[in-house]
Amino acid sequence: MPYYAKSEDWLHQSALLLQARPSTTRITTRYHIKPARRLPKPDKAGVAAPSQPEETQQQQEAKPPRGHLVLKTYDPASGVTLKYKTSKAAEVTRLVQMLGTLGRRMAGVAVETTPTTTSGGGDEVVMGEAPPVGGESEAAAGGSGAQTPTPTPAAGGQAQAVAGAGAGGGGGGGKGKKKKGKR
Amino acid sequence: MGHLTHDEFFAKLADLFNARKTKAHGAVYLTQKRFTFNQEETPSSEADPFADLHPARPLPILIRATNGKSKEHRAAKVKLSTVVQPQDLDAFYARYAEVCKVGMAALKPRDRTKRKAKAKKRKVGAAGLPTS
Repeated sequence: MPYYAKSEDWLHQSALLLQARPSTTRITTRYHIKPARRLPKPDKAGVAAPSQPEETQQQQEAKPPRGHLVLKTYDPASGVTLKYKTSKAAEVTRLVQMLGTLGRRMAGVAVETTPTTTSGGGDEVVMGEAPPVGGESEAAAGGSGAQTPTPTPAAGGQAQAVAGAGAGGGGGGGKGKKKKGKR
Repeated sequence: MGHLTHDEFFAKLADLFNARKTKAHGAVYLTQKRFTFNQEETPSSEADPFADLHPARPLPILIRATNGKSKEHRAAKVKLSTVVQPQDLDAFYARYAEVCKVGMAALKPRDRTKRKAKAKKRKVGAAGLPTS
């Protein structure tokens, strides 16, 4: 079960998975709080930073328990799990927006392309009408992306086939997004 | 337990998040999936083995929230669920984002210290140059 470094990648892969298996895939958001990490040993800190020991120690003592957010897309039928982890508060709104985009896919509502940050998943999936934009190479790219996290090769092949069959727009959307990510 | 209305759901979800704030540990689980129970569905057939890929009409979505207590802590478990109709999705997610943002207060706030320090330096530099 891979963790994606970028929420956009997670969104894209989740969208592909949802496209292949819309009625079994579920998305779980786990928000958990852990006590702050234990303080470094005092003697070590004293050696490492002798110039500003008081200030740093005060900061460390005042450290509140830290929250973490893990988004997980899971399809029990094929066993595909996609994850994204963050601890930044600034991302929450955007992530819930992504949940909304994926929720629209779950519902089977056409997802319109929005000029907002979630444009990665904004490719159209209208029932039965795959846009003719996606060539073979793009469909294959989408399929291989969906395959990577699959633990069982048989299920992966199936998911790939399904994604390849209906993933014209998905592959195209992913292509642009991936380029952006590499920059 | 039956499904809650959106208002009830958000109120209780806020409570759930608040319960996390008072303690230094714990978790909140939020799940969403397609709601297929008791929905008239076109069964998969030979001709169309993936009938669920293109439903005849949009399906509702089931949203669940729990504090993840189970086994010996079962008594303390909080389970909330609500069903969002396709036409309510946008309104629901707008409120959902708001509640989550407020509730997930223990996440790392945006770090502005570095930028501030830089700005200060620049100010000092700008002020220092003409005098020297």
